[in-house]
Amino acid sequence: MSDKTAPWFGKVMWELIKRQPGRYALAQTLWITIWSMQIIVGIIIARYFDALTEGITSSQLVSVVAAMFAYAAGRAVIIFFGMRNHGSLLFRAGALMRRNLLGRIYELPGAAAMDESPGEVVSRMRDDVEHVVEPFDFSVDITGAGIAGIISFVILWNIDPVITVVATVPVIIVGIVSNRTGGIIRRYRIDARAATETITGFLGETFAATQSVKVAGAEKHMLARFSSLNDVRRSMMVKDRTLTAVLEATFRNTVNISTGLILLLAAGRLGATGSAGISIGEFALFVYLVTQITETAYFYGMFVARVKQAKVSVERLTDTLAGEPWERLVSDTPLYLGESEFMPSETRQAPAPFRVVEGRGLSYHYPDSDAGINDIDLEIKRGEFVVVTGRIGSGKTTLIRTMLGLLPAESGTVVWNGEVVDDPSVVLTPPLVAYTPQVPRLFSMSLRNNLDLGTGLTAEDLAESIHIATMTRDVDTMDDGLETMIGPRGVRLSGGQIQRSASARMFARRPQLLVLDDVSSALDVETERTLWARLFESRSDVAALVVSHRRAALAMADRVIVLEAGRVVASGTAAELESSSDEFRAIWAGTPNGAQVLDG
Amino acid sequence: MIPIRSYLRLFSGYLRPFRRTAVLLAVVLFTAIGLQLVNPQLIKAFIDGAIAGDDFSSLVPIAVAFMVIAVVNQGLMVWATYLAEQVGWSATNQMRVDLADHVLHLDMGFHKSTSPGALIERIDGDVTALSNFFSSMIIKVIGNAVLILGIMVLLWRESWIIGLTVSVLILITFIGLFRLHGVTVPWQKAIRATSAEMYGFIGEQIDGTEDIEANGATGYMISRFDAIQRRWLPETVRGWTGWAMMWSAAMTLYFASLAVGFVLGAWEFTTGALTIGGVYIVLQYIQMVHRPVEQIREELIDLQKAGASIERVQELFDRESQLTRRDSRTLSSGPLAVGFESVTFSYNDDGGKETVLDDVNFSIAPGRVVGLLGRTGSGKSTIARLLTHLHEPQQGSVQIGGHDTRDIDLVDLRHRVAMVTQDVQLFRATIRENLTFFDPTVSDDRLHEVIERLELADWLRSLPNGLDTVLDSGSGGLSAGQAQLLAFTRVFLRDPGVVVLDEASSRLDPATETLLERAIDHLLEDRTAIVIAHRLSTVHRADDIIILDDGKVVEAGRRKDLATDPESLLSSLLATGMEEVLA
Repeated sequence: MSDKTAPWFGKVMWELIKRQPGRYALAQTLWITIWSMQIIVGIIIARYFDALTEGITSSQLVSVVAAMFAYAAGRAVIIFFGMRNHGSLLFRAGALMRRNLLGRIYELPGAAAMDESPGEVVSRMRDDVEHVVEPFDFSVDITGAGIAGIISFVILWNIDPVITVVATVPVIIVGIVSNRTGGIIRRYRIDARAATETITGFLGETFAATQSVKVAGAEKHMLARFSSLNDVRRSMMVKDRTLTAVLEATFRNTVNISTGLILLLAAGRLGATGSAGISIGEFALFVYLVTQITETAYFYGMFVARVKQAKVSVERLTDTLAGEPWERLVSDTPLYLGESEFMPSETRQAPAPFRVVEGRGLSYHYPDSDAGINDIDLEIKRGEFVVVTGRIGSGKTTLIRTMLGLLPAESGTVVWNGEVVDDPSVVLTPPLVAYTPQVPRLFSMSLRNNLDLGTGLTAEDLAESIHIATMTRDVDTMDDGLETMIGPRGVRLSGGQIQRSASARMFARRPQLLVLDDVSSALDVETERTLWARLFESRSDVAALVVSHRRAALAMADRVIVLEAGRVVASGTAAELESSSDEFRAIWAGTPNGAQVLDG
Repeated sequence: MIPIRSYLRLFSGYLRPFRRTAVLLAVVLFTAIGLQLVNPQLIKAFIDGAIAGDDFSSLVPIAVAFMVIAVVNQGLMVWATYLAEQVGWSATNQMRVDLADHVLHLDMGFHKSTSPGALIERIDGDVTALSNFFSSMIIKVIGNAVLILGIMVLLWRESWIIGLTVSVLILITFIGLFRLHGVTVPWQKAIRATSAEMYGFIGEQIDGTEDIEANGATGYMISRFDAIQRRWLPETVRGWTGWAMMWSAAMTLYFASLAVGFVLGAWEFTTGALTIGGVYIVLQYIQMVHRPVEQIREELIDLQKAGASIERVQELFDRESQLTRRDSRTLSSGPLAVGFESVTFSYNDDGGKETVLDDVNFSIAPGRVVGLLGRTGSGKSTIARLLTHLHEPQQGSVQIGGHDTRDIDLVDLRHRVAMVTQDVQLFRATIRENLTFFDPTVSDDRLHEVIERLELADWLRSLPNGLDTVLDSGSGGLSAGQAQLLAFTRVFLRDPGVVVLDEASSRLDPATETLLERAIDHLLEDRTAIVIAHRLSTVHRADDIIILDDGKVVEAGRRKDLATDPESLLSSLLATGMEEVLA
C-alpha cells in the first residue's frame, strides 16, 4: 500500500531542488565559482616564481599583488552573497520537512502510541532532517569541487602527464578513506549523542526523584549507574575524536606524500632548462593544484558518506510518516515564512444539534498485548451523564479513546445522530465534542492561549469556563492572571491546576458532549462535586461521558457502565447495579466509608 | 580572559592521577610540532639543491625523508589527540560523579529551589565544557600557539623583515576576528534560543497530540509552528552572514600576508638575502600559519565560555547541605520507636507565620500502627519528611529508636525507615532496576518472592521481557495504580523498622486497593507504621490515631477508645459517614 523503502537519494534531492529552483541554481553557480577561482591563486604563485627566477620587475610585482587583492575582494563579495542565499536555501529545505512531519503527526490517532518515544521523534525532526539537508548542502560543493578538480588535473596534465598521474594516486586513497571513516565517524557521533542523551535523561530522572532516591538510601547505586553511563560515553567520545583526527591526518598526509612524489619525480629536472625541465613556478603550481585535487577527493568521499547517512535518515523519517510514502516528507506545503504572509483561518460550519452518539461493537487491542476492549456498545443521549467504571486495566480509557478516534478501532463504528462517522478523530472534536485525558497536557504558552487555542474567546466565555472548572481563585492569585506563562508542559502549575485548566479548556470549546477521563488523582472529592454541580447548572443540555470510580460520580450517573477485562459486564443506575452486578458491588464496596473503620 | 587559574584550582586534583599520561602527551605533541616545522626546510634544501645542480642520489633521500617525517608527524598528532581526549574525559567523568554525589546529598530545600534541568546543565553541560577546555587547551591552543611561534621564529630566521611584518599581520588578524566575533555572538545566541524553542515546542506537541486533536487545535498549533519558523529564518540567514564575514576577513588578511611574502620575498631574493628555496618556504610558512590562527580563535572563544562553567561548578561544590549529620548512632534491628518532642518546623528558616508544625509531641511504641489524619496542609506529609531526615526541625527533636535523627548514621536511617508517597518516581530503565533502585545485589529470587507476595506475578508474566522490560520515561507506560504497586514492591524489598505510608493508596481504584490490603497487612507486621491518609478507611488497621490540624496535634489515642468515645473528634468524623470528609 505504501512504498516504505527509501528511494534513491537523488530523487529526494530532486524534489528539494524543485521546491526552490531559483535559490538552488544561484547557489550552484556561486559555489562553482568559489571552487574554480582558487586555481587562479596557484597560477599567480606560479607566475611569481617564474618571474622571480627570470629577474622580476617591479611592474610584474605590482601586477601580482594587485591580482591577489582583486581576487580576495571578488571572493569576499561572492562568499557574502553566496552564504546569505545558502542559509535561506538550506533553512527552507529543513523547514519544509519539519512542517510535513508535524502535519502528519497531527493526522495520526492522537492516543495511539507512536513507535518511537517523543524524545526520539524530536531528535528525528532535528537530527535526521539535518542529515537529509547536509548532502543537499554538499551537492553544490561537490559540483564546484569536481569542476575545480578536473580543471586542475587538465592544467597539470599539460605540464607533465607522468607526474600528474603518480601524484594523483594517493588522492584516490583520500577519497576512499574519507568515505569509509566519514560514515564511521557519523555513526560514532550518533552513538555518542545517544549516550549523552541517556546521561542527561538519567540525571533528569534522578533529580526529579531526589526525595525518593534519598529516602530509599539509593544514592550509592544511582552514582554507580551514572558512572557506568559516563564510561560508555567516554569511550564513544574518544573514538569519535580520535577517528576525526585520523581522517584529518590522512588528508594532510596525502597532500604531503603527493608533494614528496612530485619532489621524487622532479629530482634532476627541477630548475633545468628545456622541455624536460620543470620550473620552480611549475613545481609550486603542482603542489598547489594537487592539494586542490586532494580536497576534491576528500569532499567526494564525505559526500558519499553523507548520502549514505541521509538514506538511513530518509528511511527513519518515512517510518515516522507512519504509512505515508517518502514523497510526503518533501511535498509542497505552504510555510508562510514571509512577514506579510498569514495563516488562513479554518472555519467550521455550526453543527446540527446533538441528539445521540453511539459506539457499536468497538474493539481495540494494544500492539503485542491482549489488553484492550472487545465488542463494546455504548450510547449517550443529549443531557445524559454516563459514567464508565471498572478496575485498573479494565479498558475504561481505551474505550473512550477508541470512541473519539484517538485510537484506531479494529472493528466497530461510531454513529452520530444516526449517521456513521468515518473518521471520529476529525468529526468528534469541538464544537461537537471536547475531551480531557486522564493526564492532560498543557503547552508552553500563556494560560489564556492554552484555554483559547486560537479561537478568540470573549472574556466572558473564558471567565465562565474558568468558573465551572473551579479555577477562578487560582487565576486571581497568579501574578499575571491569564497572561501567566505556564512553562513547558505547564510545570509552573500544580497538578490540580493543570487538571482544572484542562477542564476549563474543554468547557471553553462549548461542546455538546463532554468527555472526561478520571479526575480523581488530581481533584479532591469536594472540588469534583463543585465542578459537576456548576457544569449542569450552566450547561443543562450537554451530555457527559466520564470515567470514574468515585461514589460522587457513580451515584449521580444516569447510567453506569461497568467494564471488566475489556468487556461490558453490567450497565444501569448505581441503585440497579448494586443488586445486579458483583463487579459493581466490589468497586462500590471498595469505596471507603466510615462503617469499615468501626468494624475493623 | 582565559580562566586558567580557577580552572586549575578546580581541576588539578582530578588531573593528578593522569600525570604520567600528561607528560607523555606533552612529549608527543611537541615532537609532532617540531617535525611539522622542520619539514618545509627539506623542501628548501631540495629546491636549492636542484637549482645548484646536485645529482639525483643526493636529492632522493631528501624527498623520502620529507614523506617519512610527514607520516610520522601525522601519526603523532593522532596519538596526542587520543591521549588528550582520554585524560580529559576520564578526569571530568570523575568530577561528574563527585558533583552528582555532592548534589544528591544536599538538603531538600536546595532541590526544591533548583530544577532538574538546571542540575543537568551544571553536572553535564558545564563539566563537558571543562573537558573540552582540557583537550582543546592542550591540542588546539597550546599546540597551535607553539606552532605559530615556531613558524615566526623560522620566518625571522629567513628574513627578519618578513618575520616582523607577518607577525604584525597575524596580530591584526587576531584582533579583527575577535572584534567581529563580538558582533556575531548575539546572532548565534538568537539562533540557538529559537532552535531550543522550536524543538521544545515539537516535543510538547508530540506529547500532547491527544489533547490537541481532541480539542480541535491542530490548525492553531501549526500556525504557532509557522510563527517560530518565520522568526527563525532571518536569524539563520543572519548567522550565515556572520560566518561569511569572519571567513572573508580571515581570507583577506591571509592574502595580505601572501602579498607581503611576494613583495618582500622578491626584494630579499634580488638582494641575495634569500635563495629561491627560501622564498618558497616563506610562502609555505605563511600558508601554514593561516589554519592555526583560525583554530586558536575558535578555541579561545570556547574557552572564554568555559569561564562561566568553571564558576558555576565551583559554586555548586561550595554549597553545603543545611542538614545536620553526625552519623554517630546506628539503629537496632526489628521495629523501632518513634517520637516527636516539642517539634516546631517551618520550610523557611526564618520561621514566623509559615510554621508548618507547632510544638508537636507524640511517641509511638515499637510495632504500633498509627493512623495520621488531617486536612491537606495540616502538616502530615511534613511529619513523614522529618522522620526520613529530609528536613530537620528548627526546635525540638525527632527521634527514631531512641536517637535524634541528626545523630543517626544517615545510610542506616534511610535503610531502616521506608516511605511510600503518592508520587511514584520511575526511571527509564528495566523493571528490575526500577524495583531495586539500581542495586545489583538484589537477587531475582528475592524479587520474585516479593512480587508473588504482592500478587503482581500475573502482571509481570504479561510483560514481554519480564523483569528486563524497559519502562518508558514519564508515566513509564504504567497506570497510576501499577506504578503505586511498584512503589510498594520497593519497600518490601528492604527490611525497614519503620514504614511511612503517605496517602500511598489514593491513586488506586477501590478494587485494586482491596487487593493490596492483605499485602499491606503483611508489610506492617512486626514494624512500626505511620499511615497518613485523608480517607478514614485507609486507617482502619491502625492501633492508634493522631489527628492533626493546622500544625498541631488535636487528638491522639487508641483508635478503639476514640471511636467509641462519643466526644472524640474521630467519632464525629465517623458519624458523618462521609468518605473523604477530611480531604
